[in-house]
Amino acid sequence: MPFFDHLEVCNSSELVFGSAKHPLSYGLGLKVGQGEVVPEVKFFPRTLPERDPEGFKAEVKAITADLLDRAVELGVEALQIEAEQSFMETRKPELVAEVTSLQKSLMEKYSDEHGIRLGLRVTVADVRDFREGLRSTTNYNLMLEAFEAAASNGADVLSIESEGGKDVFNYSIVRQDIKGVIFSVGLLGSLDMKLLWEDIVDIAERNGSLAGGDTACAAGNTAMKLAGGVGSMTLPHTFAALVRAVSAVRSLVAYEQGATGPGKDCGYENVILKAITGFPMSMEGKTSACAHSSLLGNIASACCDLWSNEQVENVRLFGGSAPQVFLEVLHYDCKLMNTAIRLGRALELRDALVLSDKFNDPQAFVLSPDVAIEIARSIVSERGYYRRAKSACQKAVALMEASPSLNLSPPERRLLSSVKSVLGSLPEDEDAFKDQMIRTFAGKIPTFRESDYWP
Amino acid sequence: MRKLYLDKVRALVMRGMSEADLLSRLRDSIVNLDFDGSKNLAQEAISKGVPANEIISKGISAAMEEVGRKFEASEYFLSELIVAGEISKEITQMLQPYLKGAEVKKIGKVVIGTVKGDLHDIGKNILGMMLESAGFEVIDLGSDVSAEAFVEAVEKNKPDIVGMSALLTVTMVEMESTINALKKAGLRDKVKVIVGGAPITEDYAKRIGADAYGKDAVMGVEICKGWVKGRS
Repeated sequence: MPFFDHLEVCNSSELVFGSAKHPLSYGLGLKVGQGEVVPEVKFFPRTLPERDPEGFKAEVKAITADLLDRAVELGVEALQIEAEQSFMETRKPELVAEVTSLQKSLMEKYSDEHGIRLGLRVTVADVRDFREGLRSTTNYNLMLEAFEAAASNGADVLSIESEGGKDVFNYSIVRQDIKGVIFSVGLLGSLDMKLLWEDIVDIAERNGSLAGGDTACAAGNTAMKLAGGVGSMTLPHTFAALVRAVSAVRSLVAYEQGATGPGKDCGYENVILKAITGFPMSMEGKTSACAHSSLLGNIASACCDLWSNEQVENVRLFGGSAPQVFLEVLHYDCKLMNTAIRLGRALELRDALVLSDKFNDPQAFVLSPDVAIEIARSIVSERGYYRRAKSACQKAVALMEASPSLNLSPPERRLLSSVKSVLGSLPEDEDAFKDQMIRTFAGKIPTFRESDYWP
Repeated sequence: MRKLYLDKVRALVMRGMSEADLLSRLRDSIVNLDFDGSKNLAQEAISKGVPANEIISKGISAAMEEVGRKFEASEYFLSELIVAGEISKEITQMLQPYLKGAEVKKIGKVVIGTVKGDLHDIGKNILGMMLESAGFEVIDLGSDVSAEAFVEAVEKNKPDIVGMSALLTVTMVEMESTINALKKAGLRDKVKVIVGGAPITEDYAKRIGADAYGKDAVMGVEICKGWVKGRS
């Protein structure tokens, strides 16, 4: 397995949309990271699979057909569809098999008839119940069965938003506890992913699918959501930016276990991962306003290879079904980026996208290509998950503090100063940190068990 | 005789000064969110015989008032309000044996949970912590909580309030199912119901028969406090 001790992309001018150092070809003629950005569309059916499995299948089939019809109408040449499961669906692997198969059959039909290049990503839900443990449980096995069902029925890319360490993270985030974040996301999340991704990569390899990567949605995006909009005082935006930097350490583990991408959309940390791994990445931004608000709408697209809408409910709008409407929005965004590439002006467009957001919020700042490369470098310069997480955090703090253009309020600056002092007091050694944290959290969080992470 | 009297007065003044100084340092320590420092100062105050009710009123309550002011003035984040609340809660527990048998009375009891089919529980968790800091007893049923589980918890715990959260439009309908289940069990009139979460609106709360909609945790706590105010 690779261990990333250097950057695949060292120069920020090479970190740009549509081009990846290690591009991919898969599915029905789809090429990703090879000089064009491809739309990736995702939808949320209204029918609950638990209550009405037949209705659910029918709705997924109808939405997929709607999407492919709209793609033909718009002249879309390449498209990825993502089927992100609810935990109700993952708990029914036989349903996953049927749904994946029917989606893939439809995609094959449209590919044959209309020549569209297509790919299908299936994202399995992390259905583990922390109360019963993270491994060798019924829910863990169900999750693997869902992966197997998807891979053996036509999924081209396998992904997950795994949740190792989430209980400790949830406790830590509302208390602004950076040590808890480094422990839960940087160390526990990474250790959990190391074991989980061995299994996912094995399933992908046996079935000819790609192991597409993981995201720290449960951490990075929870922090982003809590931080809220401009002026919101729920959680410091600088703190959410630090959670994002630590998230990169965790999400990198999938690639160190053999994943090849394309990385999944809601991992905003993917910019940092693209610099480290060179693999293509999916991103979401303004086009995911249908699912959640963010202050990263433009900058998120600066380095994407697939451009996604995150999740849209299947409701009717004047312009068609919401998934169709969002496919259209994605298509035009991609057309603009691809035209810029053809005209040799990709960097100009990228820089405009970056500058429109970069200094408005610390969370955007850490995702700008130059800063992302610095954070990526701080990660690969260290060995061990804990030291990488600490290093990423220290680098992000230093860059935010030093930026003359990033406008931080006094409470945000106070937060950075306090985090810096905590980071300075942390031990160098992972075992010493682990002991300290286990003393802090064991017993305090009932679902946290050391044996889940250090079996 | 006169010297003895003056020494006594001086000792009392000194004690008063050192007590005031200690409580002021405790207050500042809580405001500065120094967990260990606050606990040490509270312990020092206890050992020096400062009455527990003085520690509460001049140390803890004064600190929480200042933290609240800083939050209102956008100087502090909500997460800092939560940390200060936790420090205060822990010190109050330390003081329990010194309150001459008088329990710190809870102002009300709330059962909270994220509805069936929904695992997004961080908003509900924040509400729970803030309710506890405000003096409520909180029974947190977790996430993916069925209507039956809410009914069972209300029967068992006899709360004043039931709080439900949902993030997804496909799961928010479970709030109505839960309210109907409470009605069916004859419990609806015994509790107030507050609902919240990203897709919820004031109008939706009214439509499903909830008593209130909490836009965020701060508003949710205010509504719950209003319901129990003056009751005891």
